[in-house]
Amino acid sequence: MPDLSANGRPSVADAEVAVARLESMSTDLRGCAVLAADGSVLAATGDPERWGEPARELLAAADAAAGEPVSHAHVATEDGEAFAVRAGGIALIAAAARFTLASLLLSDIRAVLRDLLRAPGAAPAARDAAAAVEA
Amino acid sequence: MPPKPHRVIIERVSGYADEASAFLRRRRLTRRPFARVYAPGGRSLACAPETEEGRELFLAASRVIDAAG
Repeated sequence: MPDLSANGRPSVADAEVAVARLESMSTDLRGCAVLAADGSVLAATGDPERWGEPARELLAAADAAAGEPVSHAHVATEDGEAFAVRAGGIALIAAAARFTLASLLLSDIRAVLRDLLRAPGAAPAARDAAAAVEA
Repeated sequence: MPPKPHRVIIERVSGYADEASAFLRRRRLTRRPFARVYAPGGRSLACAPETEEGRELFLAASRVIDAAG
């Protein structure tokens, strides 16, 4: 089960497990990263340094477009598709092949986030967030 | 003379496969780039690439896709 650190965010080890799990679940996935509430990269496929800035930019652009913090965003480009899902203060950013089945990938992302937020010793807010992540 | 049972099943399966591949082909031809954002209350918003918000979203998404390699 995930181990939330003292500041209430998932540990790096749990985030790495979540990333590996999403990679194994989704065949169309090209890469993904888990971001803490402060925008730092907890875990990512490949080099985490590469993910920080683009992931934060995508979340910021989505928030600006909606006029409030978004729960999720989906952008389909000619080169591939980008997803951002936020729950309980953490965010999962993913890139997938073009024409991926978005509903399936979003379902996988939510399942991974839900498990990441659930923990026996988790703060009530984190558990509420896990319960609120749609199936 | 009625067709052999296995032939009926094979024809039905290949018929479904043909329909599925045609659906995916049409989807590839007709689907255009898009950007959608969803607020926690369920509100969603489509952002056209011509708008400032849409341009920022597409640029950020391209960087995310590049980061994934």
